Amino acid sequence: MFLLAAITGKYGEGESSDSALVERFLRKDVSAFEQLYDRHSRVVYALVVRILQQGSTAEEVVQDVFLHLWRNAGQYQSSRGPFVPWLLTLARNRALDQLRLKSERQRRREDQAEEIPAIAQSPDYEKALDEKRRAERVRSLMSSLSAPQKKAIEMAYFEGLSHSEIAESLQEPLGTVKSWIRNGLLRLKEGLQTAS
Amino acid sequence: MNEHDQFRELIEAYALGALDANERAALEAHLASGCPACAKALEEARLVVTQLAYLAPPAEPSEMLRARVFRTVRADAAASGGSGGGSLPMQAGSQPTSVPMWLWAGVAALLLVSLYSTWEARRMQQEVVEMNQHAAAELKERKQLEDELTVAKHEAWILTDPSSKKIMIMPSDKSMPMVEAMWHPKMGIYVTAQQMPMPKNNKVLQLWLIPKTPGAKPMPSHVFWPDANGKIGEMVANPPEDMTDTKALAITEEPAGGSPQPTSTPMWVGDVS
Repeated sequence: MFLLAAITGKYGEGESSDSALVERFLRKDVSAFEQLYDRHSRVVYALVVRILQQGSTAEEVVQDVFLHLWRNAGQYQSSRGPFVPWLLTLARNRALDQLRLKSERQRRREDQAEEIPAIAQSPDYEKALDEKRRAERVRSLMSSLSAPQKKAIEMAYFEGLSHSEIAESLQEPLGTVKSWIRNGLLRLKEGLQTAS
Repeated sequence: MNEHDQFRELIEAYALGALDANERAALEAHLASGCPACAKALEEARLVVTQLAYLAPPAEPSEMLRARVFRTVRADAAASGGSGGGSLPMQAGSQPTSVPMWLWAGVAALLLVSLYSTWEARRMQQEVVEMNQHAAAELKERKQLEDELTVAKHEAWILTDPSSKKIMIMPSDKSMPMVEAMWHPKMGIYVTAQQMPMPKNNKVLQLWLIPKTPGAKPMPSHVFWPDANGKIGEMVANPPEDMTDTKALAITEEPAGGSPQPTSTPMWVGDVS
């Protein structure tokens, strides 16, 4: 089954691919880590700022994410999915934790057992698309959704709200919100597949 | 719609983290049962969800953040013996993430100066101690010389001053040498002898002043013994009795340390009056 088009990096001649850098980074190569940081820190930071709506706290979380990445390199397993989605999932979880003002003790406990779930791995998924084009494509696909549908998905993703919380916030029936979210994500998936 | 289809409809929301607790628990139980189709659908849904990150407005992290992260990682790598191969040039405006060589050199120089200063301070302290000990020894020696000089002056004074009285202390055993004493009324008594035998049985010689008062006990004075050559030169600076009140001088053999009263018959006696 073919999956999603899009995403992850196309790099110039002489530049290492993410997978090559990750391979070196897993062997604790500082240079590889720094290249990965330079390559992906912007999207991570933008995501965290969007969730937290506060630059200074976002920098703390981003720093935490990358240092966690460095110090727990063994937690990433390439067999469980590509690197960037894994990194974005880690960053989102950390930012939402911060947003929910979880206690430091609880966070530490979660850190110890933190495991990012497996994400789909597909050769097609590694097709060339730089970060800017990737963002344009996702925005374009999302713009095709209705405004409430897009809003519901963003509330779930960026604010960590559940179906019920979104329904209550938007004062819409729960079933409607569930449909919006599911159908919206399916359309996004289809759009990404088509783009590939 | 069968049970599997019901769970399948929850996959996207689950990947998004939007399921409420009861639905989440039910789906997780289904996934735990090992449904491969749902597991694969979930992986794909998660991949879609991660793309939502690109909806965030573009934002640029600061150079300070980059410098902090790089500095920490390089320090970690250095501490754990990692590659530390942060060979990328720093971007403009970023902070240096390693200590420059000149700073290491400065620290090393400072350390050397500090070590030298410590060593030098200890050396000088030791020298001061040795000089103090040397000075104390010299002072002691000087004091001893001064004392000896004083004694010598007294001896010379006693021996030459006309007011001194010469007293011949005669042995009871004619084979023994004679002892001579010069008594100055103010300077004391100077006792001399030649070829004196060393007292036996760890005994010493003790000088006694015999008072003129009838029945008065002998006054104990110095304890002494001849040197290796049998020579005696003993200065008694403060005799226990005035010359005018003393009838005679006597010498006995006494146990080491002397006695408050004679324990033996005098071996030498000299008439003072």
